[in-house]
Amino acid sequence: MKLDDILLMAYVDGELSPQERQQVAQQIAASPDAEERVAHLAASRLPFREAFGSQKLPPVPDSLTKKIEELARAHKAAAANSAAIASTVNVAAPVTPVAPVNPVSERSANDDQIEHNAQLPPSAPVRSRLRFAPAWLAVAFVAGAFCFGAVLRLAPGAIPGDVLTTASAGPSPWIRAVVDYQKLYARETVALGMVDAAVSSQTVAQIRDDDKLSLRVPDLSAAGLQFKRVTRLRFNGKPLVQIEYLPPEGPPVALCVMKDVKPDEAVAQSKVSDMDVVTWRQDELHYALVGGNKAVDLMSLGKQISGRGIDQLFGKNSAAAPLRTIS
Amino acid sequence: MTDADDLPNLLPGMLPRLWAFALRITGDQHDAEDLVQRACVRALERSHQLKPDTAPLSWMFSIVHSTWINELRARSVRSRSSMQWDDALLETVADPTMLTPEQQVSNGQVIDAVSRLPEAQRVVMLLVAVEGLSYSEAAEVLEVPVGTVMSRLSRARQAIGAHFGVRDGQKVGQKMKSTVKSKGEVS
Repeated sequence: MKLDDILLMAYVDGELSPQERQQVAQQIAASPDAEERVAHLAASRLPFREAFGSQKLPPVPDSLTKKIEELARAHKAAAANSAAIASTVNVAAPVTPVAPVNPVSERSANDDQIEHNAQLPPSAPVRSRLRFAPAWLAVAFVAGAFCFGAVLRLAPGAIPGDVLTTASAGPSPWIRAVVDYQKLYARETVALGMVDAAVSSQTVAQIRDDDKLSLRVPDLSAAGLQFKRVTRLRFNGKPLVQIEYLPPEGPPVALCVMKDVKPDEAVAQSKVSDMDVVTWRQDELHYALVGGNKAVDLMSLGKQISGRGIDQLFGKNSAAAPLRTIS
Repeated sequence: MTDADDLPNLLPGMLPRLWAFALRITGDQHDAEDLVQRACVRALERSHQLKPDTAPLSWMFSIVHSTWINELRARSVRSRSSMQWDDALLETVADPTMLTPEQQVSNGQVIDAVSRLPEAQRVVMLLVAVEGLSYSEAAEVLEVPVGTVMSRLSRARQAIGAHFGVRDGQKVGQKMKSTVKSKGEVS
């Protein structure tokens, strides 16, 4: 019997039972070939770990350390954010139309892409294939920035009432967040989506009943703005409503609403992250009209909406009539 | 929190060992940096696949290794049985006190002997003898049966032993005979 190398290695390393060891020793003694192999194996019992431990390797490059930290941070932020978004989406899922920029579906799509690329036999060097990575990272960073901004600005707000600061002290955290969010919206984001009156109506009903927001969805068709959809979001765990309108041209305009129990505040215009924002507070609701569209006079729109001089869509009794005008 | 959830927190701490491993298998700083980065991206993408009974470090070695194998295939460097080590890069500290009296083999010679092994054997040596992975962990890393790990390791060690055995001539062989005999007698 030719002793196999694995057995000989176990023998040399003392990993056999006494009985096995004896048997193997006898066979080795009878085989010069096995004896030589055992000799080689025994000679290979060297201090490998110490030897390699003494090897002076270049230190981990700072660039790599930073990249890995960024990756880890982005991943954590993305995980936290997708969990938060998932909960929002779950709430809204039965009523929300297929959203062209659903952050969750977007992220999943990118995941698949990475997965796919990672499993394909690679056809390009590591360096070039690495460029695939930023696809989901980009989303993660946006999400991270969204979360980070929210958390950072909320951190000093130990008193819940301070979370929603007044316009005079700069934009509220939630307004900054919706502005940053709206910046991601291109005309195409909302233009292709079909207006689903039934779904929108149901969403509005849920906002009123579940979120306890006495929401009016203004009909801005007279100003050339076509209602596209209403979406339930969450900011810091609290309901946030986003209503998207499409002007005849240029990027969309959003009316965002959050509950705020502070006194009413007049319509005021400001610039937040290079976007035009018009805000006001009325009947314990804080409104923000957000747009990067020069052709739309947000100030005038804001005054009209706050003045209640505009019909509402999905009103309790008037749902049918305005819907026809926008469909 | 499971290791999979915790992976983003674990990665920075694992970085020095991943870097050393990547450097040793690639033999090139730029390749090593790209490799570690790509492996981390892949790991985070699949962190849900990290099983609770798998050590995160082994799992990372596995991803580093498979990423590198794919890379080598892509570059069609199949014949690259041993790496062209950048000697200036992987400088060995000459330390006479590290010599063991019995073997009289310097650290530099040990590293050199390992670096001359065929690729498959070299990686097994790095994982088992240098990184301290068990046979089964190394098998998981390399996605081969445990028996394959052991036979590669055995061949690697025989090659290394033969290398130093030749240098030391009969001395090793004779020493072993006495060892064998004494072991036989004890049992």
